[in-house]
Amino acid sequence: MKRQTRFRNVAAAVSVAVLTAGVVGCSSGGGGSNRTLQVYMGNHGFTEQVQANIEAFEESTGIDVEISVYGEEQLSDQYTVQLNAGSDDIDVMMFRPLQEARLYWENGWLEDLEPHASTATDWDLSDFQPGPIDALTFDGALTSIPVSTERAVLYYRADLLAEQGIAVPTTFEELADAAAAIEAAHDDVVGYVARGNAHGAVPIFSAFLYSHGGDWVDAEGNAALDTPEAIAAYETYGGLLRDYGPSSGLADIQWDSAMALFTQGKAAFYIDADSLATNAIDPSSSTIVDSVAFAPLPAGPAGSRTFNIPNYALGISAYSSAKDEAWAFIEYFTSKESTKQFQLNAIPGARVSVWLDDEALAGFPPTLAAAIAESLDGVGRDRPAVARASEAREIVGRPLLTVLEAGDTAAAAQEANRAFQQLLDEVQD
Amino acid sequence: MAVRTTFGSTPGSAWINEHRKWVLAAPALVFVGALVVIPIIYTVVLSLTDARGSILSEFSFIGLENYAAVLSDTARFWPAAWRTFAYTTVALSLQMSLGLAIALLLRRPFRGQGIVRVIILLPVVATPVAVGMMWQLILEPNIGVANHLLESIGLPRGSFLGSQSTALVTLAIIDAWQWTPMVTLILLAGLSTLPEEPDEAARVDGATAWQRFRFITFPLLRPTFFAALALRAVDALKSFDVLYAIKGPGGGSYHEAETLNIYAYSLNFSHNNYGIAATVLTLFVALTLALVTLLIFRRKEVRP
Amino acid sequence: MSSVPHARPARRQPARARAYTVFRFCAIGVVVVTILGPLLWMILAALKDNVDIFNSSRIFSFAPTLKNFVTVFAEESFLDFIVNSLLVGAVSTVISLAVALPASYSISRFVMRRSKTFVLVARIMPAVSLLVPWYFLFSRMGIVGSYTVLVITHMFVSVPLMIYILVGFFDGLPLELEESGQVDGLTPIGAFLRISVPLSMPGVATACILAFIFSWNNFLFALVLASNSTRTLPLSLYNFVRYASVDWGGLMAASVVITTPIIVIALFLQRYIVAGLAAGATKG
Repeated sequence: MKRQTRFRNVAAAVSVAVLTAGVVGCSSGGGGSNRTLQVYMGNHGFTEQVQANIEAFEESTGIDVEISVYGEEQLSDQYTVQLNAGSDDIDVMMFRPLQEARLYWENGWLEDLEPHASTATDWDLSDFQPGPIDALTFDGALTSIPVSTERAVLYYRADLLAEQGIAVPTTFEELADAAAAIEAAHDDVVGYVARGNAHGAVPIFSAFLYSHGGDWVDAEGNAALDTPEAIAAYETYGGLLRDYGPSSGLADIQWDSAMALFTQGKAAFYIDADSLATNAIDPSSSTIVDSVAFAPLPAGPAGSRTFNIPNYALGISAYSSAKDEAWAFIEYFTSKESTKQFQLNAIPGARVSVWLDDEALAGFPPTLAAAIAESLDGVGRDRPAVARASEAREIVGRPLLTVLEAGDTAAAAQEANRAFQQLLDEVQD
Repeated sequence: MAVRTTFGSTPGSAWINEHRKWVLAAPALVFVGALVVIPIIYTVVLSLTDARGSILSEFSFIGLENYAAVLSDTARFWPAAWRTFAYTTVALSLQMSLGLAIALLLRRPFRGQGIVRVIILLPVVATPVAVGMMWQLILEPNIGVANHLLESIGLPRGSFLGSQSTALVTLAIIDAWQWTPMVTLILLAGLSTLPEEPDEAARVDGATAWQRFRFITFPLLRPTFFAALALRAVDALKSFDVLYAIKGPGGGSYHEAETLNIYAYSLNFSHNNYGIAATVLTLFVALTLALVTLLIFRRKEVRP
Repeated sequence: MSSVPHARPARRQPARARAYTVFRFCAIGVVVVTILGPLLWMILAALKDNVDIFNSSRIFSFAPTLKNFVTVFAEESFLDFIVNSLLVGAVSTVISLAVALPASYSISRFVMRRSKTFVLVARIMPAVSLLVPWYFLFSRMGIVGSYTVLVITHMFVSVPLMIYILVGFFDGLPLELEESGQVDGLTPIGAFLRISVPLSMPGVATACILAFIFSWNNFLFALVLASNSTRTLPLSLYNFVRYASVDWGGLMAASVVITTPIIVIALFLQRYIVAGLAAGATKG
């Protein structure tokens, strides 16, 4: 008897559930009377600043905004799925320009911002650093506006250096010597740490490449990974990690493990992007808050040449049905006022005038501010400038693994060059 | 146990009872069919094209060229296929044997069994992404807890996920850690329906526990066991969440954790090479289907 | 109605039985520790500052903080996430059961091997191959971002899962019980409803728990098909993975929070499994 009743109850529950799902399904998910601006953003400090100031924007323009925030990879996946289906659910899109701008542009997913940008005189397009803007312009079309930049800097332990009486290294040789000295003096500290994962290390490696006088391609646009400069760069990057880094798991080190090692006080030197500095100076994630300091990238044979790249940019989806409102959003949050305000909150922007402003570096710790100030004149890309950025990254990162294993770097570089040239040729067709 | 029934007296119900085989099964089959048909067609069609970048942009049909390219790709495809096989085999052997052993342990009632049952559910319940990140932290070779503990009891440090040679096996063990309880749960439910008389009779006759298990319990449990095996085999073959959370796209620097599913995901979302991705996926599904069908059709169902 | 009283040889068994009991408890203990160990670490990590998480000497000796949990709940609309996950999970599990239970019975009793294989194909399809065509289809239907689409896609995962569990289960269920019911005047469908279904409770409870868990943890479908108002819990995990920092403490705390409601539901459903065990002992 009980089971019979229970079965009837379940049947009733199911019917109710189906009806509810139907009703709820119809009512939710869309269909507001006023079209809300759909903004997709990544998990980044810039997004937090936008969210903090969104009400001011909504009030001054009367545009309702809905911001959807996703992790880095998830955001890309979203774009791939939705834009492949031609969805108009996305208006403003935040993405990684060097990884995705060219790809999205060639897919026809981005709106050309040139008409909007050139007519916005107060907003002033010419105020942006030329490097990033160049990197985002294809065939005369401006695909996106850079919102945040980063450079490679040297993180170091001021206390350990002082103890050994070593000056802050200014060249890679000095860095190697300093790392060796500190490692010899301390059991539980390695001299140096950096990204070892082939894919993740490529951006940081690019700074080494430029500092040795090399580049991904030569003047004619052919692959240049097997030049003496490039090979020397691979050797320096991998050699430092191999000789003065942790004893195992090198090829697995992503920035978060490297940072964890450094902030636990187990490494003396660390080269990575300045955008990650918060991890080292925040007491809740770092044990070395009082002893960490920053310096510009050490110099190689061709000087100290870091990259200075936009890590995120804002664009408008080509399928959007609210492009003017989308531009209003972008214009507002990349204006001189907004950029300056965000910069005071430690979000390095891409506007020249803001960097020239005396107050510009007030939001950064002193040594970091000094390091950044000396790195502004960097190269505008940290990876090969092709649409198939992911594949290219895998190819150019492979020789690093060979160096970590103390193998034949020249051979690996030549092999990588062959593969890279093939990719370049395929893209040309 | 004479129960008055209200069925059978209404006109339509005679038809329902006669055709019950399909009436009962139809909703599920139609639902599954409707949802799966489109992706299958989509994937197979794409595998015959050179689509990349954006699906809405032009692409052309290139017949079986993709298949030729993929099947002759000894750099990425075949290693990925091998890894998928190795990973699945290790993970499955572990979870099926341990799952069965634990189910037998927990079968007879004991004090605190409710709590223990819920405890062993925990790894299955935990979100795979979180499980992946948790193990990544624990097994980190330089500052993780695992090596710290090993050192403190005098054992050598391991490189677990950090070494090319041990990464895949470590990942398979993590998979087993997470899913063995699911096998246990399914087998427990199956064990609960087994009649007790044969077992009791055998015990009275002096059969050992192993003999009882081998000749009575397991044969009766076989349908449930193979159902669990089929389920877990399919899931293990297309393992994704934990592998992706720990090693990222590309399966690590040396692609040491790149199984076919991870490779296809990379092709699709990182390289945007939809043609090749679809080819890999089609081959993957075909391979998996062949393997699992063997499992189903070779076993004659044992009826009690 | 318990088991038949057995005539055992008196002296030998008690010692062996006791040894087995001891062994059994030890073995169960080992299993529990292996499972709880890492999870305990996760819970401890949820109570630590990020700086302590990486410090192996601070496994147990640290200053606990609730900061991570505060972060988790303060994330805008975290409660919405929970409600969405509960709603989608419950509805999809119930409807899946209604659809899968009759189908499993039929597939088992009539040995429908091709149907069984067909259903398995659904489970084999990797999510990658499903995402874009589904997004296309559902956005044309206009239901992207609604609960409906989430329920439908979760059912796609649950129905094959349930069918496999229940088919294996029904295969082990003796036919005589239904046949005796039919002798008593039940139609075949009546026998199904009044005899087979109640007896399948342990299998049903198991299938429901597992289906609900899969729905609860489903990440990819929700990522692509849910809107801001229908987002489910697993998506919130990636809120802690930022461009320039990974909030491990927050991540672990979020994992703990995400896991808790299911434990409660599992505890609740456990009773049906145990009840089924008792019912199983009374049949015949």
